[in-house]
Amino acid sequence: MSHIHIPDGVLPWWLWTAGWLLTLALLALASRFARGREYRRAVPLIGAVSALVLVSMGSEIVPIAYHINLTVIAGVLLGPWLGAIAAFIVVLVLALLGHGGITVAGLNTLVIASEMAIGWAVVRAGVRILGVQRIRPTAAVATVVTLAITTTMLVGIVAIAGSPATGRETGALDARTLEFRDPFSDGVFSVGLLGESGGETGAERAGHPAAPGLTVSRFAAVVYTLGPIGWVLEALVTAAILGYVARVRPSLVFGEAHPEDHHARYGDEHGRR
Amino acid sequence: MDVTAVDRSAVLGDSLLHRAAPGSKLLAAGLLLAAVVSTHDPLVTAGVALSLAGAGAALRLPLRQMLPLALYPALFALVFAFAAAPGPVTGALIVLKAVAAAMVVVTLMFATPYPQVFAPLQRILPAIVGDALLMTYRSLFILAVKLADLVRAVRLRSGVSARQPVRAAKATTRALGGLLLYSFDLAQREYDILYLRGYQGRLRVGRRRSADRTADAAAIAYSALILAVALAFARFPLDLQGYSWLVAAAGAIDLAFGLLVGWRR
Repeated sequence: MSHIHIPDGVLPWWLWTAGWLLTLALLALASRFARGREYRRAVPLIGAVSALVLVSMGSEIVPIAYHINLTVIAGVLLGPWLGAIAAFIVVLVLALLGHGGITVAGLNTLVIASEMAIGWAVVRAGVRILGVQRIRPTAAVATVVTLAITTTMLVGIVAIAGSPATGRETGALDARTLEFRDPFSDGVFSVGLLGESGGETGAERAGHPAAPGLTVSRFAAVVYTLGPIGWVLEALVTAAILGYVARVRPSLVFGEAHPEDHHARYGDEHGRR
Repeated sequence: MDVTAVDRSAVLGDSLLHRAAPGSKLLAAGLLLAAVVSTHDPLVTAGVALSLAGAGAALRLPLRQMLPLALYPALFALVFAFAAAPGPVTGALIVLKAVAAAMVVVTLMFATPYPQVFAPLQRILPAIVGDALLMTYRSLFILAVKLADLVRAVRLRSGVSARQPVRAAKATTRALGGLLLYSFDLAQREYDILYLRGYQGRLRVGRRRSADRTADAAAIAYSALILAVALAFARFPLDLQGYSWLVAAAGAIDLAFGLLVGWRR
């Protein structure tokens, strides 16, 4: 459960607008930090890693609606600033392919960028403490920790969206208006679709306080039940891939994935000319 | 998700929508997304989705490839609706919103080459973000093909088998690891090309003009009409709620008409 699979028009407008504003601020900051590095090298690197994450997200585990993300790997390879740019690109391309809403792309970017930054920090700390030989368990633990934190962020976003402060006027869902009545009955009788509205008249409904929003407790129960299955799968995949890459091209994982020598190959310590 | 099908349709297609200016199509998509965001009635949302599918059919867009992409988010929305919706109507609305919004963006992407979609964003985003966005989309096609090749190679060598899940998982992970290394080599090659071509920090995308002004007007008028209907239902929910079935029926008629027109052409 990495990013938000919430469609457009479900979260209140002020929440997704805030997400977009924070994302734009993050991107401005990230591009400023990226400027200090070798700019021409960063552009294709972000492109390739973002594409890799997108390709991996295309393979889905249907029963639990989970797909592999490789966000921790992307974070380890790119670092937190380039990772933030990659997170935005991944989210935007996914949204343009219909996967995830356009309006929630800002919030999604914040969640995925956090995932990359936390994953990067935990793997770095783990390698420093446990050593390079234990990269697999380090990567697995880092992935579980990271996904647990970002899942909690996700629950927090839904909790904010589902609070009483989000009336229908703000763009949040409101069950009051989700009623289907016979237009030809002129108020003689009304039929609540699947019994949700209780068949009240418009005047009665108008006097009601804010209708219930999103059910946060059930949402939390579901994501904390299904989520760990995804965390474990993601941890196993991340550990296996990082272990493989660490064996084949160690400096990609342990060193700088952004060598100062412009002609050196990425992570190839023997590639200097 | 078959991104190559999206690109093929966007570049080689010759529908009325393909002939419209990218700016008009983006504006139309924005209006339609605003309609999906503002509506709170499942029948209105269903009407929008059906009408869009009808428009796609009438324009002879590749619906068979578009629909799986547009319906894919429904799976995730269903899980979210099950977990967070207070009732079945709200749940249905969440799923329908996901499908309608996906239909909007998928229609846009099937009728507009990606550089033209990204170009306006590239102008407002920091240079590194805009350029990396273009490089990502380019790399995406290459990596998707490479992954398909790797998976095929692993299968041919009996690496992926339901009877041996551990071996299959190892082989798949190695394939993904190999893909990761390949993606870094790809980044290196792209860097070399940028270096040789004297890239100085801004990729330029040429502006594409409209090939048919009628197409621009039609796309914007259609989207504005749908937005007006959605806004009316959002603004006066209690007065119009009983008539929302009309929107769904109109959407169904649109779809039937679109299928008929598309079939006859």
